[in-house]
Amino acid sequence: MEVSQNSDRKFTLPVDSEHKATEFRLFSVATPHMRAFHLSWISFFSCFVSTFAAPPLLPIIRDNLNLTATDIGNAGIAAVSGAVFARVAMGTACDLFGPRLASSSLILLTAPAVFLSSIANSPAAFLMVRFFTGFSLATFVSTQFWMSSMFSPNVVGTANGLSGGWGNLGGGATQLIMPLVYSLIHTNIGSTKFTAWRIAFFIPALFQALSAYAIFFLGQDMPDGNYVRLEKSGEKHKDSFSQVFYHAITNYRGWILALTYGYCFGVELTIDNIIAQYFYDRFDVNLHTAGIIAASFGLANLFSRPGGGILSDLVGKRYGMRGRLWTLWVVQMIGGLLCLLLGKIGSLSGSVAVMLVFSVFVQAACGLTFGVVPFISRRSLGVISGMTGGGGNVGAVLTQVIFFRGSRYSTEEGISLMGVMIMCCTLLILLIYFPQWGGLFCGPRKGVTEEDYYLSEWTDAEKEQGFHKMSMKFSENSRRERGKKGASVPITSDKETPPTMV
Amino acid sequence: MEVPAGFLVVYLLFSCFVASSYGVYFSSLNETIIVTATPTQGQVLKAGEDQITVTWRFNQTYRAGTDSAYKTVKVKLCYAPISQKDRSWRKTVDLLKKDKTCPHKIVARPDTASNNSFTWSIERDIPSGVYFVRAFAFNAQDEQVAYGQTTNAHKSTNLFEIQAITGRHVSLDIASICFSAFSIVSLAGFFYMEKRKAKASQQK
Repeated sequence: MEVSQNSDRKFTLPVDSEHKATEFRLFSVATPHMRAFHLSWISFFSCFVSTFAAPPLLPIIRDNLNLTATDIGNAGIAAVSGAVFARVAMGTACDLFGPRLASSSLILLTAPAVFLSSIANSPAAFLMVRFFTGFSLATFVSTQFWMSSMFSPNVVGTANGLSGGWGNLGGGATQLIMPLVYSLIHTNIGSTKFTAWRIAFFIPALFQALSAYAIFFLGQDMPDGNYVRLEKSGEKHKDSFSQVFYHAITNYRGWILALTYGYCFGVELTIDNIIAQYFYDRFDVNLHTAGIIAASFGLANLFSRPGGGILSDLVGKRYGMRGRLWTLWVVQMIGGLLCLLLGKIGSLSGSVAVMLVFSVFVQAACGLTFGVVPFISRRSLGVISGMTGGGGNVGAVLTQVIFFRGSRYSTEEGISLMGVMIMCCTLLILLIYFPQWGGLFCGPRKGVTEEDYYLSEWTDAEKEQGFHKMSMKFSENSRRERGKKGASVPITSDKETPPTMV
Repeated sequence: MEVPAGFLVVYLLFSCFVASSYGVYFSSLNETIIVTATPTQGQVLKAGEDQITVTWRFNQTYRAGTDSAYKTVKVKLCYAPISQKDRSWRKTVDLLKKDKTCPHKIVARPDTASNNSFTWSIERDIPSGVYFVRAFAFNAQDEQVAYGQTTNAHKSTNLFEIQAITGRHVSLDIASICFSAFSIVSLAGFFYMEKRKAKASQQK
């Protein structure tokens, strides 16, 4: 599996047979790998800043637009619901057009929604701009897809975790950025309150548009070049949408992870929307303090989600895929327990402490999830990433609608019940089984190899035309997921009865 | 040194539990001040443009000398129940220091025996809504001791409406639309450039 020395001389980082980097150097901007990393996390960060730019300024916006609590709640749900389908669509777009075009297009298409937020004049308009701005959260999928295309399996968890985590950071940073920008405009430039917030929205909008330009001009889809050029020159086969889609939706593992991701990332989005109000109402802190507490939840993403990704890679090195699955299950269960506890604590300092520990576990679970996602499918990596990402948003919508709308449950009851739901849904991870590596309780099936699993996504006719070469290379490189014990098992493929992708 | 620190932590935690429930309750106040304001029932005023003239005086039917404790009078603009509906940040709470009914200050004056009046230009950051005017009398310890309002006890009569400014400006509208259009046009430009690059590499 070691790469021949002459082909990787043109890359700054060491690479594998697919030219994916086998090392991750955070402070480098070397093309194409590390540059792709920095472009993807910065652009995703800008989308998060835009999507959650309204909540910290709500005390002013709600007076300007005459919003009721119901209007605000609906806009919050709209902000995260658009991305449900956008994420699946983005996954498909990445598979077909490549992450560079797919993400820069989406970011530029949603930038107008942020610009037009400045001229919103009614509750309906507010809901529409939050809905369309929320579509930009689909860049998460292109981020993960891009990292999975640029980085080898041994560091893909780290790359995914860091890019996802530092992007999610935007949700916390915006709680600090927007009030700061607003007060600069209101106090220093002297605009009235109802004009100052409108001008403030130009900042995230411009940031978002600029990041799209950066991706377009500075990024490339794969280590060897862009999709368009690779397809025209014949190096990369232009895949068929229906096949890609079919192989994604028939893989049950994608559906399970979509649901469990709804109960780590979805929970994170829900908390982003409700936590400031929770502290404000239950503990009578002022709005400024509530905003800082809310920001700290999101800011934990700086290290917690990447930590989950790094942990996934560390555990994967030793114990393979089974280790990755076990760690995900344990961390997400503990997250659920802490959520249950959060709703029960009656003191301010206790609540803040539990919330911070809870944020670390729930965000680490997100990082751990995307340590497993790149291995579910090679052909349909984009759609699987999209389904999982979309599932995250579905979780956010469901949770907010069931527990945080109207007065059926108090906010603290809602938080505890959300914790119970996290634990119940996480149990599904027990059902994930990879024939070549095993699952939580069962070991791998004898004689099944990585090639059997990944090549079963291609028909014989397609294989004859050589379309499956990427999957071949990936199978070789993913051998590490057997862990240290399995690495010595002979790599023979059972030719009589090739197992299908069950 | 650990023991005092431990006590400090416990004290801080305890103080978090103890709800500060002392303070003046609205239900304990008498309506001894008569307040009138220029807007009539249902009148619509514009923020940043129109004015309200408020007059207030002590109600002589109450025992004379009741108002000797009044040191300052603060007049406020308050939300009517319809503007509080489904908006918990404007909730009426009996404990006055937690009450959010009257957030907008009109004027604060030392209390004088003669007829007091003030003409207030409605500020530009007053939100749209239905309002009434209330005056609180404060004693030397800065606690509320009496009140008066332009509406009845159920807050259903003599309410007026204020229309807020939009905060929008033509220049903002134009900038917003131009930037949005530019984003879309530049995206189309990207696709065109990509197509050209692809053709060029195919010819290579």
